[in-house]
Amino acid sequence: MSTKPNIKGWKDLNVGGVVESGTSEHFHTGDWRSKVPVWQEKNCIQCMNCWAFCPDHAIKVKDGKRAEYDYAYCKGCGVCAEECPKTTIAINAVKKDDPNAKIDSFDGAKNPTFAEKAAILMVSLKDAKEKFGVK
Amino acid sequence: MEKTIVARTGNEAMAEAMRQINPDVCAAYPITPATEIMQIFSSFVNDGLVNTNLITVESEHSAMSACVGSAAAGARTMTATSSQGLIYMHEILFIAASLRLPIVMADVNRAISGPINIHCDHSDTMAERDSGWIQIFSENSQEAYDNMIQAIRIAERKDVSLPAMVTTDGFIISHGMERLETYPDAEVKKFIGEYNPPYNVLNLEKPITVGSIVLTDYYLEHKKAQHEAMKNAKKAILDIGKEFGKVFGKEYGFFEEYKTSDADYVLVCLGSTAGTTKAAIEELRQEGIKCGLIKIRMFRPFPAEELAAALKKCKGIVVLDRSEAMNTQAGPVATEIKAALYDAGIAKPMHNYIYGLGGREIYIEDIKNVFRNISKDTKGSNEVKYLGLKEA
Ligand code: SF4
Ligand code: SF4
Repeated sequence: MSTKPNIKGWKDLNVGGVVESGTSEHFHTGDWRSKVPVWQEKNCIQCMNCWAFCPDHAIKVKDGKRAEYDYAYCKGCGVCAEECPKTTIAINAVKKDDPNAKIDSFDGAKNPTFAEKAAILMVSLKDAKEKFGVK
Repeated sequence: MEKTIVARTGNEAMAEAMRQINPDVCAAYPITPATEIMQIFSSFVNDGLVNTNLITVESEHSAMSACVGSAAAGARTMTATSSQGLIYMHEILFIAASLRLPIVMADVNRAISGPINIHCDHSDTMAERDSGWIQIFSENSQEAYDNMIQAIRIAERKDVSLPAMVTTDGFIISHGMERLETYPDAEVKKFIGEYNPPYNVLNLEKPITVGSIVLTDYYLEHKKAQHEAMKNAKKAILDIGKEFGKVFGKEYGFFEEYKTSDADYVLVCLGSTAGTTKAAIEELRQEGIKCGLIKIRMFRPFPAEELAAALKKCKGIVVLDRSEAMNTQAGPVATEIKAALYDAGIAKPMHNYIYGLGGREIYIEDIKNVFRNISKDTKGSNEVKYLGLKEA
């Protein structure tokens, strides 16, 4: 985690400790993620629910369309998958560091069909990271 | 300047100051003996004499919360309360101070339950002495009125930016009618000036986060910044007290000294008892006891060095405390005085009395007796005595 770099001592604090907006840029919430959502672009209907509901700014938008995750800010809360009308198709989540990870549909009640399950890639975190170029 | 001489109670005087200050927002909840302040002020709102947005809330906790919200949105904000109301605000008082919001409050001193009691003592204000609010005590209606006007300037000064409470003694001042000199609206308006808030959470041009969590990394620094602001408040109180004197004709400082220059024995107290003490001093001086008074006006920040210097010459000190600290060692005022004298390397006989709790009357004769006692004692006493106590 990084703090605002220009605060060093008490004299640098703003009066009342107010902070300017946008400081969440300095916090990589992805540091403590234990699950990772994976987006299947081909199944995405571009409803933007995930973008609207994500509590951080992990879901990027490009040319007015949902784009790839920025995993630096994804805490793995699963809200995007929960709010996605195509849950487990467009977004699914994988437990960290488990190469044989089972699909975790977050709410566990969506009952994906066998075909859907098969359609969802059994990606490990390592694979996901490679796929999305996350360090 | 043309002053208007009127007869006003302390509550009326404070409400009048609020009318002239014309704050943007007032959020308050009624409580005896402060109710009248907001009751009178609400008529001003109703009659269009002020532009204030009056928020009638369901509790004092909500009142102070609304004040914090309003002040954080850049509004000049005031409130009034007393006793249980003040201590019900307790948690939000600390937040207002740490957010450095210059809210100004009229606080009418009343005993804290239990046992339940509605009369004057200072236990409510003393219970909030560590909250980070500036605390200014008043001896009478005139001082209450003058202090309210100055508190706006002190609290809002840029290097201070802290909330301030101005107190009066419940019923004794709040409901006692006295001669009051008021100043023209335009002069008060000019003296307090335009409000320039420390920040404004509603400013969309410059979005900010107010009240974010500060953990082990910067909480300590946050408090240090508050500490320094309190130090700056000392200077501000002097500067503004002087300026007030130039404009309105009565200068204010940290404390008032009455006949101390040649006094062998000095009594220290707060609020209305100073008036009684002045009368006692007059009578005792006829008997040949050279005594004087120091009436503390500014309790937070505490003028330790200045008080120690003022107490240096006398032979003995009496400290009257209108609240209990329950430490069995000294009342809140005496605790501070002892610390101030220790730092200044001064040791001299001191008597500390707890008096007037729950509105118990204090008579000129009581004060004369405490002076007589200290004049016969060369050693002082660590015992906390209760003045006017029924022993049997
Ligand atoms: S898992 Fe949570 S933090 Fe990550 S992208 Fe989805 S909603 Fe945002
Ligand atoms: S909620 Fe699902 S379908 Fe909608 S934009 Fe996001 S990934 Fe695509």
